[in-house]
Amino acid sequence: MRGLTKEYVLQRFLMYLLTIWLGSTLIFVIPRLAPGDPVSEMVGRLSLDAGYIENADKLIESWKARFGLDAPIHVQYFRYWGNVFRLNFGYSLSHFPTEAWTMVRDALPWSLGLLTVATVLSFSIGVTIGSLMGWRRTPRWLQLILPSSLTFTAIPYFMFGIMLIYLVAFELDWLPATGAYSRRVDPGWNLPFIKNVLTHAILPVVSIVLTSMGGWALGMRGLMISVNNEDYFLLAQVKGLSPTRIFFRYGVRNAILPALTALALGLGGLISGSILVEFIFAYPGTGYTLYQAIISQDYTVTQAIANLIILVTATSVFLLDLLYPFIDPRITYKRNMR
Amino acid sequence: MTVGRQAADETTTPARGWGLNTWDSPWLNFKFLLGVAIVLVILLFGLLGPLFWDTDLAYTGAGPLNKPPVWEEEGLPEHPLGTESNGRDMLAQLILATPSSLKVGFLAAIIGMGIGMALGSVAGYVGGWWDHVIRTISDSAITIPALVVLVVIASYVQMTDTTAMALILAAFAWPGPTRLVRSQILTLRERSYVRMAHLSGAPALEIMFVEMLPNMLPWLAASLTGGISAAILGATGLEVLGLGPTRVPSLGLIINQATTNAALVRGLVWWWLPPIIILMVIFVGFFLMTIGLDEIANPRIRQFSSSRRERIAAGEAPSVEHVDGGVAARRDAALEVDDLHVHYFTPRGEVIAANGVNFNVRRGEILGLVGESGCGKTTVAMAILQVVQPPGRIVQGAVRIEEQDLVSLSGRELREVRWRDLALVPQGAMNSLNPVTPVREQMADAILAHENIGRAALEQRILGLLNDVGLPERVIDMYPHELSGGMKQRVCIAMSIALNPQVIIADEPTSALDVVVQRVVAQTLLEVKERLGVSMVMIGHDMGLQAQLVDRIAVMYAGNLVEVAPVESAFSEPLHPYTQLLIESIPSIRERKPLNVTEGLTHDLRNPPPGCIFQFRCQHVEQICRERRPDLVEREDDHLVACWLYEPERHALIELEEA
Ligand code: SF4
Repeated sequence: MRGLTKEYVLQRFLMYLLTIWLGSTLIFVIPRLAPGDPVSEMVGRLSLDAGYIENADKLIESWKARFGLDAPIHVQYFRYWGNVFRLNFGYSLSHFPTEAWTMVRDALPWSLGLLTVATVLSFSIGVTIGSLMGWRRTPRWLQLILPSSLTFTAIPYFMFGIMLIYLVAFELDWLPATGAYSRRVDPGWNLPFIKNVLTHAILPVVSIVLTSMGGWALGMRGLMISVNNEDYFLLAQVKGLSPTRIFFRYGVRNAILPALTALALGLGGLISGSILVEFIFAYPGTGYTLYQAIISQDYTVTQAIANLIILVTATSVFLLDLLYPFIDPRITYKRNMR
Repeated sequence: MTVGRQAADETTTPARGWGLNTWDSPWLNFKFLLGVAIVLVILLFGLLGPLFWDTDLAYTGAGPLNKPPVWEEEGLPEHPLGTESNGRDMLAQLILATPSSLKVGFLAAIIGMGIGMALGSVAGYVGGWWDHVIRTISDSAITIPALVVLVVIASYVQMTDTTAMALILAAFAWPGPTRLVRSQILTLRERSYVRMAHLSGAPALEIMFVEMLPNMLPWLAASLTGGISAAILGATGLEVLGLGPTRVPSLGLIINQATTNAALVRGLVWWWLPPIIILMVIFVGFFLMTIGLDEIANPRIRQFSSSRRERIAAGEAPSVEHVDGGVAARRDAALEVDDLHVHYFTPRGEVIAANGVNFNVRRGEILGLVGESGCGKTTVAMAILQVVQPPGRIVQGAVRIEEQDLVSLSGRELREVRWRDLALVPQGAMNSLNPVTPVREQMADAILAHENIGRAALEQRILGLLNDVGLPERVIDMYPHELSGGMKQRVCIAMSIALNPQVIIADEPTSALDVVVQRVVAQTLLEVKERLGVSMVMIGHDMGLQAQLVDRIAVMYAGNLVEVAPVESAFSEPLHPYTQLLIESIPSIRERKPLNVTEGLTHDLRNPPPGCIFQFRCQHVEQICRERRPDLVEREDDHLVACWLYEPERHALIELEEA
């Protein structure tokens, strides 16, 4: 029993559905559990901003009807699910004729690009550093230098982002501070545009990578140290294998497995953090669009984005899960491994 | 083989009870304490601040607009950290904001931890269906991007105070601790001291609190500090987005107001930087606590860093005193162990694991090395193989194969000798095969490290070796988890003979196998030895098995060899009182009990008593035994023993000394 078994795929797929269901339901349920109802809250806040709204009660009633909030809660819930399945979230309230889904779709590539690059970079750099830190044969000068890469580990991405904007963009004026590209270039597959996009991406990516790679490095270091104490690691030494072979085939090869699990489990956190990064850098991805939607009280876009982010996260975790049995032959053999 | 584990057992004992008041307590970890101190300082700033500063200044219009801190030219002494665009005093704002950020973090993380501990204990202890449900839900909840859901919730629910926010954050703080507590309980349940408590009939709750919780404590604490900073991050995130409570000052809210008022562009550094600095200090504090606790929880990380420091301090080169040269190698010896001393340099002192061990293995013989666990026999095996794990080190002695001293060989030379001349059949083989690579690769790399042969020849060779130990050909493509314990052990035996070595060290090769399989494995070993004429050191504690397999037997006690004799005379006429004890206990070994004849070691290995190391347990102890250590001397034909009883002159010796 190796590779993907039917049972394993099914089990992971159920997990996948469960995650989506759990996330979307949380979004649906928690606001309704809270005292007061969302529409009254919204109108209340509007009247705070505008001073006074005439016929507030009527407004509330009509809005409730508009969003179907006057129906019993289970009906609302089924309707909600129907919409989530069809990716039908209605029209954007703040950009009216545009559909919420379209706005989300336009934002998604930016986030996916930014996050994929940042995650891959920080994970691979972090794992490399951690592996070397947890290996007894790493040259001493390297052992002394490596811990400095942990400097920014404790700092949340977005705070580091603010400081980078201030230093690199405003004080030094080396790189653009905000946005995904400048207004003066034509979007499309041309060199100036691509160059422009890349220069805009540098600061957000750097702020994510520098602050998150230390976490991977520390985790990997601990895993390498445990592998160092495994019997098979010792037997490899006794076999007279070369240190590099032991490092890669017996050290990193085994230590990386739990690190990959941690990556799958940590994706949600990464994505959460990136919302703030996008906000700070005004980067037009899903996180920034979510923020815009919330401050303009664009209820449909908010729901669409939140559901989409949950969907994308769960899908990435699912894909990682499907990859896992190919790297770890034990996973489909013993049940309940993870 | 479990060397790492054994070494760890020798140097660390499981926590029982709470034991926080000793000076060598692991809790005195520098990083952890520094982190605690940092967080305390920040907390005091927030708590004591209102006593020294008028916090009413934190509200709109209390002062002039956009004044820089006092050390800049336009700064005003009544606003030492300056004011922002609404005339609010920065110092007053920071004083009010700091404790509320900390409070949210603590509250949310503690609630999350409480839920996690409850669910995790149920999952770990009750197991079954409950475990399945709890694990599935917490596993999927952990991957949901919390901030996204929080942001959506916050956009509906106007959070009026920090408590409401903490409660909502707690909804995302439980899956981590749940996973942790569950896996910790599952691991700890397997530990011998917990099992022992179970067997002795202690109630579950008592086991939980006395045996498990102290061992889990550092993990739980690390999870708590991690949770606190995650919750603070979540809360701050919401505040920065302007979705937190807006009436109460908070660090995130200050950043939000600064960024939305373009403080960055306008150069109002004193507006956005101080809250960020405070937050960073808080995060650094919790981060230090978390990694400090990680080190406390995981003694290996501790050992790894301390052994590195030690090695750097002592210089990388092993400082071995060579007794080599001059000693005439015995012609018939395949392996000579000469005055071997191995010490473990633990934080609590130097543990002497092998103290001047001397023996030869003759060509084609099996030498049994026996003793109770912790007597140093595994350490000797590891020292022969040159893989003593830090903090252990060979401090003196030589290990010779073909007159070549392995202790003095450099990396490359040593690699060539390994496996070609000296192979290992590890203990039980449970974890000795790499779980993620097939048998083929693990056998091939041993061969390829020493010989250049083509693919086809390599394959033939491996199949031949598997055949030699009675395994079917298909094993070549199997993974270790697909093999039974006995099969794994036979793969290890096949691997050990791949290069036709001079000497094989077999470290308790049959332990952890059931009786029938034990016999098969022992039989395989014997056959292999007969056919290849290889010499073997067989380490074990099973006297019954030793009697059947070995030619000569060497008995070890507390790091010292006490008797070396041909197996027949050792059993028929044991000389050393300890060997006598061992042999008397054989009936109980037939019942497959571990060798545990008496109460175990009676002295501290860090400072052995002067005189005989067995004196506290010996029934024949005399004056001289307490004063002088007996040497290992040949008392009968080929029968060596280290005991004063067989020294006729012993009374004269002691009188001589007194004179
Ligand atoms: S030397 Fe003395 S104490 Fe030691 S074993 Fe012999 S008789 Fe007993």
